[in-house]
Parts: sequence; C-alpha cells; structure tokens
Amino acid sequence: MHIPDGFLSAPVWLSLDLAALPAVAYVARRAQSEAPENQIPLLGAMGAFVFAAQMINFPVGAGTSGHLLGSALLALVLGPAAACVVMTAILMIQALVFQDGGVLALGANTFNMSLAGVAAGYLPWRLWGAAQWRKFAVFAGGMLSVLVGAALAFTELWFSGVPMPRPLLVLSGGLFLLAGAIEGGITLAVFQAVERMNRSWVRDPRTFPLIPQAAVTAAAAILAMVGVLAASAAPDILESFSRAIGLGGKERALVATPFGGYEAEFIRSSWLSKATAGLAGLVAVVLCVWAWGRFLARRRNA
Amino acid sequence: MHHFVVDHWSQSDSPLHRRDARAKLFVLVATLLAVATAPAQFQWTGVGLAAPILAGFLIARIPLGAALLRGLVVLPFTATFALISYVGGDVERAAALLWKSYLSGLAVLLAVSTTPFPHFLRAAEWWGTPSFLVTVIQFVYRYLFVISEQVQHMRMAAACRGSGGRGWLFQRDHVAAAAGAVSVLFSRSMARAEGIHRAMIARGFRGHILTLDSPRFGWLDVVFAVAAAGGLIALRIVLGRVS
Repeated sequence: MHIPDGFLSAPVWLSLDLAALPAVAYVARRAQSEAPENQIPLLGAMGAFVFAAQMINFPVGAGTSGHLLGSALLALVLGPAAACVVMTAILMIQALVFQDGGVLALGANTFNMSLAGVAAGYLPWRLWGAAQWRKFAVFAGGMLSVLVGAALAFTELWFSGVPMPRPLLVLSGGLFLLAGAIEGGITLAVFQAVERMNRSWVRDPRTFPLIPQAAVTAAAAILAMVGVLAASAAPDILESFSRAIGLGGKERALVATPFGGYEAEFIRSSWLSKATAGLAGLVAVVLCVWAWGRFLARRRNA
Repeated sequence: MHHFVVDHWSQSDSPLHRRDARAKLFVLVATLLAVATAPAQFQWTGVGLAAPILAGFLIARIPLGAALLRGLVVLPFTATFALISYVGGDVERAAALLWKSYLSGLAVLLAVSTTPFPHFLRAAEWWGTPSFLVTVIQFVYRYLFVISEQVQHMRMAAACRGSGGRGWLFQRDHVAAAAGAVSVLFSRSMARAEGIHRAMIARGFRGHILTLDSPRFGWLDVVFAVAAAGGLIALRIVLGRVS
C-alpha cells in the first residue's frame, strides 16, 4: 500500500520523514557492519528477486491469484537490518522510477513497509523460529508484515484528514486480513521450498536479540503517545462517584508536576502536549521497573 | 517495459537534461512541497502549478501525451479515496486528492525522465542518503531487469508445460508449484549474486560503485536551482493568496 504525494498532511509526512531518516541511516550502518563486502551484490540481487518474484502468481482459489510481497521472507533470509535496507531500496526505486508511492511520502512508506513491516515480519520468527512453532512463526511473520503496514498507512491517512467511513474501514480490514493470510501462506510455501534446496540460506533466529525488544519499545512508545490522544475525556468511575457524593472539584494536588492532567505544561500545542506527557509517563514507568529490578537482583545476589 | 521508455527519455539532450542532478533533485523537492502545501482549489492553484511542470516536459522535448498518460499510474490508489470523499459530499477534497497526487507524480516523472538514474542516485547520496543504501539501490536497479527477464522465461516454460491457471478451487499442488518456481528463482538470484561479485572484484570493486565521469555543479546549475525553486515557491505563495 504505497501512499502517493498529496494525501498526507504536512505534519504527518514531515514527522515521518524526520523519523525515517535517522532510522534508515542506523539500519544501513548496522547492515553494512554485519554484511561483509561480498554480501552487497547479494542484497541487490535479493531486491531484484523480490521485484521479479512478484510476477509469479499463486492461485488462491475463487478464480483469483496473489503474489509474494517479500518483506518477511527477506527478513528470514538476510536478517532484519539488511532486509530493511533492501526494502527501502525497493521503495525508492518504486517511487522514483515507477511513480508507485510519493517522494515526500517516502518517509511514511519506508516507516510502514520497510521499518515496521520488516520488524513485524521478523518478530514471530525471532520469538518462535527455533521451536516447534516454526511454521506458524513464518506464516505469522508474513501476515503481520502486511497487516502492520496497512494499519499504519490507514492511521496516517486518518491523521491527515482523509475520510475513513466505517464501511470502508470494515471492508478494508477484511481485505487486508485476507491479503495478510495469503502473504503468510505464500511466505511459508516459498520458505519451505527454499529451505529444502539449501538449509544454510535461512538465518538462525537467535542472531539478532535486540530486534524484538526494539519493536516492542517502539510499539509501546507509539501507544503511549497516541493512546493519550485517543483516551476518553469523560470522567472515570472514581471521579464520577466523587462528583455524585459532592466531593467533585474539592481535590487538591500536594505536589505540582510538569505533567499534571496528562498534559506537558511547557508545550502549547494540545496534541503535542498530551503525546509528550504520555511518553514521559512511559519513560517514568520503565525507569521505575528497571530500578526495582536492579534492586531485587542485588538483594538476591547478596 | 516502462523503465525502458523513461531510460530512453533520460538519455536525450535538452537544457533540462544538461542540468546537474543535484539541482534537479532540489527543484523536485521544492515542486513537491509547493503542490503538497497548496490550497485545495484546482481553479487557480492546480492550473498555476501544472503550468511550470508541463512547460518542463516541453523544454525537455519529452512527448507530452505519453508523459501525461504515464502520470496516471497514481490514479488507482487515489481514485478510491477521491470517490469516497466525493460520495461523502466533500467534492473539493476529492478533486484535491486527484490533482495533487497527479501533479506530484508528473513532477517526479519529469525529474527522472531528464536524469539518468545513476546520476539521480549520486545526487541523492550528495544530499545525505546513506552511501550503503545508494549502492544497494544501484545493484537492485541493475539486476532488476535481468532477473525479471529470467522470470519471463520461467513463466513461458511453465505455460508451455500446461501450468495451471486461476482455478475456482484452492489447489495445494498449484501453490507448491508456484513456490517451487520462486525458490528456483531465489537460488538463481543467489548464484547470480556470487557471479556478479566475482566479476566486480575482477574489475576493482572495493565496496562502492565508481563512475568514470564526475558531475560539475556550474553557475548555470545554481541559477537554475535558485530560479526554479524560488519561482515555484513564490508562485505557490501568490496562488495561495489569490484562491
């Protein structure tokens, strides 16, 4: 799902471009350090392979056919960092040569299909790839790579003010579930065929322990920032009860904090203020849990 | 294929073709910014911003009809959301989605039709794209059509052997056959990558693609970049006030 230029609002495409730039620079540096010099033509050939493999149709019944999208398969074969670089290269060629996806929207498309898509495709493999759930991990990786990319694209379009009527969302959700299942099935079929030809072409899932942690961290950060915006403004049960018994409005804060009312006082923009407060809350929770864990570990070792 | 036409156009000669790729990339981003931030009304802003892009095709001596047709590739995605906006009663947004994405696609097409792709990538690297990524893009682009041709041969061979079409029932054997074809393509791509690497080492490859010609950023390029980008931004501001 390549978003063309002219769809996303300036804050959305600009912030995603600014987020994607350092992320792509990081994965490129990481892939370069992991890949020996003789791997560079391999990455190029794999990118060309994904392009070409999309021309081979898989009959999926009802007179229709699907094709491989490839981000999950690339992650299983090349590793997540190299797969991100190859997917970004494919997206840039599609945007510049085939006008499939915008240039200003390249950050959004890279974020959806390359960074998040590859991470989502690799995560099940990292978690269950070495166990008896191996086939499920490959299938789930293929499916998740499609669903995550599509969900992010729809969220960005919604944030940009593109109308999203409920019937469209339901229909699109169903279609993307189907497309995800098809991608999962095709990825599994190709993966098994490749593995039968040469087992060494598939990467050990234990090679990159940081990826799922990074993906979970990114997901938590996004949830913390977006969740605060989506939270209901209506009072919760305790607040309703206190109002009902006449205590509403009589509460008093003992300590003034910069994030009172889930808003950062020092930021004027309403949404940015709430998002910053959400992120700050997440960081505070992580620090508390980390400190408590260290304390418990020291006591146990003492 | 599509790329052959654009590649063919990019090898021509015109005042636009002779400009440095870095200047053209700068002007392209300015054009896209002007289109993306323009007010939705097509009457003034759409026509006003389309004029310099169409003039660019004429100056570059690129067949205008063919270019306008190629720009339509953005429509399948755009038309869906435009139709939803139209049905929802927001006609202005529907029109804006169509003309903005179409003009943006045309602007990109003009840039790549007047610049050989390797030059374009070198310009992107100069503007800060990681060199490792640029090297991978060069390899993907170089071998994209070679491996695609391989697929065409495989498809033809499969069709000659009576390969199954799109049946109404899901058939596991057909899926397994297609997966086998993809895995064969995969192994051939791997083998080709090894061969390419050996050939490149023989030609002195040390991890970065070198080119024989070095581009020059002359004063004409500076004038072009400043005048075209500045003119477009000024035009965008004026059109924004008029509409």
